[in-house]
Amino acid sequence: MTKSVIQPLESYRLAQYALPIRCYICESENTFDAEFCTHCLAPMALAHQANSQKVCPKMVAVLGPSAVGKTVYLGMLMDMLSRRARKLHVLARGAFSITLQQTTLAALARGEFPEKTTNDPDHWNWVHCQIRHPRQRHPLELIMPDMAGEAIFEEVNHPHAYRVIHSFLRKCTAALVLIDAARLRDGQREQDYFTMKLLSYLRELNDDPKRGWARRPVALVLTKADQCDGCQDDPEAFARAHAAGLWQQCRDRFRTYGFFAAGVAGACAFRENRFEGRRQVPLRIEPHGIIEPFEWLLKYLT
Amino acid sequence: MVAARIPPVLSATAALSTFNLLTGLFVSSLWLSGAGAVGGAYLLLRIAAMRRRKDGDTPEEEDQQPAVRPMAVADRAVDPNDTDALVAQFLAQGRFPLLLRKQVAGNLTPGQLEKAVEALHETMALIPEGEVTVGPEWRDEEGETGEGEPAVPPRVVRVQQLFLDRYPVTNRQYFEFVAAGGYEQMPLWDPAIWPAVLDFVDATGEPGPRFWKCGCYLRGQENLPVVGISWYEAAAYARWLGKRLPTDAEWIKAGSWPVAVSATSRHQRKYPWGDVMDRSRANLWGSGPEKTVAVDEFPTGVSVGGVYQLIGNVWEWTASSFRGIDCHGDPLLLPTPMKSIRGGAFDTYFDNQATCQFQSGETLLARKHNVGMRCAVGACDLVLARLVETGENDRSASHEDGSAAGAPPAEEVQT
Repeated sequence: MTKSVIQPLESYRLAQYALPIRCYICESENTFDAEFCTHCLAPMALAHQANSQKVCPKMVAVLGPSAVGKTVYLGMLMDMLSRRARKLHVLARGAFSITLQQTTLAALARGEFPEKTTNDPDHWNWVHCQIRHPRQRHPLELIMPDMAGEAIFEEVNHPHAYRVIHSFLRKCTAALVLIDAARLRDGQREQDYFTMKLLSYLRELNDDPKRGWARRPVALVLTKADQCDGCQDDPEAFARAHAAGLWQQCRDRFRTYGFFAAGVAGACAFRENRFEGRRQVPLRIEPHGIIEPFEWLLKYLT
Repeated sequence: MVAARIPPVLSATAALSTFNLLTGLFVSSLWLSGAGAVGGAYLLLRIAAMRRRKDGDTPEEEDQQPAVRPMAVADRAVDPNDTDALVAQFLAQGRFPLLLRKQVAGNLTPGQLEKAVEALHETMALIPEGEVTVGPEWRDEEGETGEGEPAVPPRVVRVQQLFLDRYPVTNRQYFEFVAAGGYEQMPLWDPAIWPAVLDFVDATGEPGPRFWKCGCYLRGQENLPVVGISWYEAAAYARWLGKRLPTDAEWIKAGSWPVAVSATSRHQRKYPWGDVMDRSRANLWGSGPEKTVAVDEFPTGVSVGGVYQLIGNVWEWTASSFRGIDCHGDPLLLPTPMKSIRGGAFDTYFDNQATCQFQSGETLLARKHNVGMRCAVGACDLVLARLVETGENDRSASHEDGSAAGAPPAEEVQT
């Protein structure tokens, strides 16, 4: 004896797995439930958010050599902008966007600098945020990852070594390039050379005269400026004096660029122990020049 | 029929067109006159702006201009034999502690002494003697202390009775020191630092704080706290006044106002106004205009003893050395010797770095945009203290302890 029953057909649920999702960074196809892009290791949450909110966020790169202060700069920028009212401020999109701000500020409040960013792209903190300005009707969606300096260095020296960096920089609309002012002052030329290589790399990445990097805004931020007399007063003069090659390259190869000075620690000391070796620690936190370069970039993005 | 029907329509249309035309003309004339007025006003504003630019006197630049040099007290010549004039000069310069020294007070008339005492009470707050806990206390944003026992435990320090400036030193007050030739009076300066004194110049190369111009503070900044001074300049200024820089313990005592709750413990405030952070009471990052403000602003942040702006506006130099302790209480390696600065500034970001206990350090030659000073003087260094104790108006009262004038008292440490 047979009995007819109504069996719900749930195979349609599998359909979403059949539909590939494009990574927002490298545009490779991924499965629906992938957490990171299988090709470039960028978080797929960026693609899901872009699809669900029907917006295409713009992307801004924060670049610079290792230990220049990218994590501190980006974390501090997010925290400062999220605490301001009635001015330019940010709204994080998704919980993952707050992680960088949280870890950076927790470390600084303890009187330490945050841990070095690892070279594994799947461990990087990505910030997806909405920028709001009282004078602008429509908010701006932005994506800014905190990439490891060594990985950037590797990609600049060996293009395609890091697919995520290569793809991201191709799509970027602007860049904040960080340079260690204290090392420049001390005559260490690696900062100068690295930044020159980075700028050359960007130009070669997209050399289109109308839409390439030559026309995209680049803010050159001299970090740790609080440790260098005169840097905050006139950052461009400081760059001209201590990084003449870089300054000349900016003039020749970029149409929209600006020099800025930033600092987070009022003074620094060192801590030494058996396990960590010698580490620099901030004696107090008093941010300067963090928002200005970002505001300058936004003028060209809106 | 058609011809008969057309004229009314035409006439109506014509009437409507005429009405529209007239209305349009009227509105246009109104708009034109309005636009003309707006345009005219705009043109006038542009011309005014161009004129200002031509003269190099834009509003932003106005703020960067040095103030019209005020008449300094030292500019008026005083007969060295005229005691009254000399006393008046000292009082006008704020150097009344020198008048209250045992060597001088005995030679003053009661009226002169009274004026000096009045000036003392008006500008300085009395901090009573007592014990205060001074120690590493670095709490994170959640208010939790570091894990484990700190390598350097907190100290209990006994502080002698002292007077502390109610307000940070202003540009106008410091100008008196500069105008009186303070940078040329070498006895005021530590001999080891004499070669560096020549380098303590302003933006135009004149002796003075780093951000001044032509030996004078900038326009409109007379009541702002003086900044851009090294520890040596702060110490020399205090010495010129007959005062000194407060020690760490004295500064903390003035702010945290400890109250003994038992024989061995005391309650100390975290902030001068209480134990809870209230950013509206201090000029810190996010609560002020992101620059220094006049020293009498933020009156709700006053301490129990009547000292203003201990927290916020500018860090303050102290006489104590910075020991360099991290969040776990472990000692830090300092690139150069540092002096302790306290109180936080207008750009201090974290609440836990704007407490009475938080200590930061700065190199002695640093001339930062957010480090200022306030002065102290030990009550035991003034004749006033003996007058108060004995109730006698003994003009010849002398001081018994023999401590060097202007030197901070030795700290008694109890474990």
